[in-house]
Amino acid sequence: MLGYICGRILALMMILLAVSVIVFSLMHSVPGGPFDERKGRLPPAAKANILKKYGLDQPVWKQYINYMSHAVRFDFGIPYQRPHTTVAKLIGKSWAITVQVGLTTIVVAFGFGILAGIYAAYHQNSWVDTLVTFVSSLGVTVPNFVVAMWLILIFAVSLDWLPMGGWGSSGQCLIDKYFCTDWILPVVAYAIAPMAIVARYTRASIVEVMGEDYVRTARAKGLSEVKVMRKHVFRNAQIPMVTALGTEIPNLITGSIFIESTFRINGLGKYFVTSTLNRDYPMIMATFLLVAFLWGILYLLTDIAYTMIDPRVRLGAKSLS
Amino acid sequence: MKLNESKRTSGWRRFLKYSKKIVGGTTLLSALCLTPSAVLAGGHGLPKDAAPADQQVLRVPCDNTRNEVTFDFAVAVYQRYECIADLFQDTLVDLDKDFNVIPASAESWSVDASGKVWTFKLREGLQWSDGTPLTAADYEATFRYSADPSSAWDFTWFYSFIGAGGIKNWSKVIAGEMPTSALGIRAVDDLTLEVETEGVFPPLPGVMKFAFLLSKKALEAHGPYYNNDPDTSVSAGPYVLTEFDPGNRIVVEANPNYKGYRPARLQRIEGIYMSPATFFTAFQQGEVDTVPYERLTPADFKVIESDPVLKNNYLRHFGDFRTDYLLFDTYTAPFNDLNVRKAFAYALDRDAIVKNVYGEIKAMPAHSMLMPGYPASDTKGELKQYQTFDCPKAKKHLADAGYPDGKGFPAQEMWLRGEGPAMSAVYQASAASIAQCLNIKIEVSNKDGKVYMDALNAKPTQLTLGAVSYGMDFLDPANLLGIWVSSGRHSWTNEKFDSMVAEASNLVGDDKKREQMFRDAQKILVDDVGGVFIAHRWQGDLFKPYVQGDSFRVPDSNGISGKHWGNDWYWGNVYISNAK
Repeated sequence: MLGYICGRILALMMILLAVSVIVFSLMHSVPGGPFDERKGRLPPAAKANILKKYGLDQPVWKQYINYMSHAVRFDFGIPYQRPHTTVAKLIGKSWAITVQVGLTTIVVAFGFGILAGIYAAYHQNSWVDTLVTFVSSLGVTVPNFVVAMWLILIFAVSLDWLPMGGWGSSGQCLIDKYFCTDWILPVVAYAIAPMAIVARYTRASIVEVMGEDYVRTARAKGLSEVKVMRKHVFRNAQIPMVTALGTEIPNLITGSIFIESTFRINGLGKYFVTSTLNRDYPMIMATFLLVAFLWGILYLLTDIAYTMIDPRVRLGAKSLS
Repeated sequence: MKLNESKRTSGWRRFLKYSKKIVGGTTLLSALCLTPSAVLAGGHGLPKDAAPADQQVLRVPCDNTRNEVTFDFAVAVYQRYECIADLFQDTLVDLDKDFNVIPASAESWSVDASGKVWTFKLREGLQWSDGTPLTAADYEATFRYSADPSSAWDFTWFYSFIGAGGIKNWSKVIAGEMPTSALGIRAVDDLTLEVETEGVFPPLPGVMKFAFLLSKKALEAHGPYYNNDPDTSVSAGPYVLTEFDPGNRIVVEANPNYKGYRPARLQRIEGIYMSPATFFTAFQQGEVDTVPYERLTPADFKVIESDPVLKNNYLRHFGDFRTDYLLFDTYTAPFNDLNVRKAFAYALDRDAIVKNVYGEIKAMPAHSMLMPGYPASDTKGELKQYQTFDCPKAKKHLADAGYPDGKGFPAQEMWLRGEGPAMSAVYQASAASIAQCLNIKIEVSNKDGKVYMDALNAKPTQLTLGAVSYGMDFLDPANLLGIWVSSGRHSWTNEKFDSMVAEASNLVGDDKKREQMFRDAQKILVDDVGGVFIAHRWQGDLFKPYVQGDSFRVPDSNGISGKHWGNDWYWGNVYISNAK
């Protein structure tokens, strides 16, 4: 197992290297540079100076080596969008907020999604099942920025129950600046789509397991319904759920420009877009590497989770054939 | 729009007069300000209907999608914290509501016999918020910093662009060919600043509206971004930085050490970051007190126009006299043929686009570059005949160019410069109007801003057909017509236009002749179809009814109220009334 994990981490390093080469090449091949102005061009001497300052006067391959040699020491450079700070500090500050949003969303989306999925599966073909399926379809198809605007118009503008934006600035919080009234709308808007996905996958997995012979046998043996569900249904339904749902997590903890922008959350989400538009090379690289790293780690954690859910799964074991 | 030509001309003459002679300006200053002893940190000179001093808080929305790095014009013009920019200093001059140049940090100015050396006398007693006296050396240091190639200032193009009006040796200094000390900006003594230009340029005082400054002491101690930290920030303007969390919230408060011409009535201004899409919603919910026009959608305007309170508090103004237009590569086919360009000019149904796409509250049809109200503009509509909607005439011109009923005309791709939904719709409608009338194909492609500018600025240009807007940098026809000379960014050349603009720009002593030369030059531009002019934008701001102040509530001599471009008195004059 340990050897397997080490191997996977090594593979992740290779993936990050490949991602860095691809992203670096792509961003340098897009027309327009970070210091091309909207009205007039910089004089050549000024342009030369600023390119030199950021090392952009070097050949691209040399820039890449310079960047990566610093990146391995967690020095990701200076963001052109915020020249008075560093990429690491900027990401550290903004990602901390995004992670709060993401984790709260995960708790809400997975909590309610799993409950709704179980309930719908258990009461298969009932009106509850139909309702959960309908709401799930709606949640998947309506974009979160539309949901966000609906929520703002209804709960902030019309009813005036909740603040329309901010993150921990409403002054009405459960603990210090956490779990505040201004968390509710963004989390709900952000959670609806993953909650719908979670509910659908949970329902499908449980319905499938509930039809298995061993579940019927368990019931025939006289096990209580609670025990049947807990010991046989839930446990066996977890693997497909983990496979499908694990991939939602990196999406949620790296932020959404729509949610953060609409609800005035000063998180990381917007930098995925603004960095590209502004040709902010250090930020582009750092954000892409962060996403690649999170995906890699999450896949590894998912695989480890398999072994905990199903003892038959042995990571790194040699094939019997 | 009701414009009074005589008043406008009179205002323009006054502008030139200010440009050429020493102006004391004490009368106007005394009208705008109280004596220094009465200056308080906020609440200065509050009228009777004002809310209590501690409730003088203005909340403004800030765009959380913008790329912003500084408060200071002298550091990066196009990347300023837009919603709360330029409050930490006063410029040398200001503009009143009729766009006349009036004193600000400089109480007077004069020009020597050569017409090239201007002397600005600073007001006595000006100081930074840390108590350091503000002197001409601060201005000198600021200009030297901005011109230094290592600063890579994004506005360096400007002082080269204005030609004769450019600061002496500016182009050589920014090119790294001369030291910054060679710049034609000299601190003669603490209160005297000398500005030497390359040539004779009467509107120079108006250009000094851009003479924003940095603190020499802070610049040397902390570098150009000293204002990005409340601990190192110093201000010579009406407000000081107290809270700085860009992307979230910025707070400035009245500067207790301010000695300038516009002491604050407000105690505090809060900049609240949000998505531009939610500005109006936040306004409706009472989270912010103003919304600028460019963040209001056509749907928002429908709400505004149907609500009497909102409508009365949407204050429309000239803004920066912005014009939206189509541009061509006139050096290559098919737009090297004047008939083709004329066909485009006559095929554009401006009235319908303004009425149905912009909305009449936001724009007026354009038949030329200079918006009526701007100096030397076509207020009588004499140029309308050259660029107006006349489809049969358009078809005839296209046929004369060899494309009867559009047959054989190459399909065109019209580029946009990363436009948002509202302006994309305008340009889409423009392309559709032309394509429908001429029976040709025009595909609209909304490009990334940097890709667009790269193509536009390339020599030869890589942009065959595009759409763009331009607003003034300073109030003189030399500015908005100057961008059309052959050395500018447009791929259109007319020698007569070039020489006329160049001659008029430097003409001294005959205002009437100068203005007529600009009028004639604009006629050439319109007739030779350097561009196809779509609309002049009415700009404006939506205010809560309790946001008051003569600077924007009382109309100018043309009956136009609202925040006037270049009239920085607003920030000292605005207050919260007890109607809140």
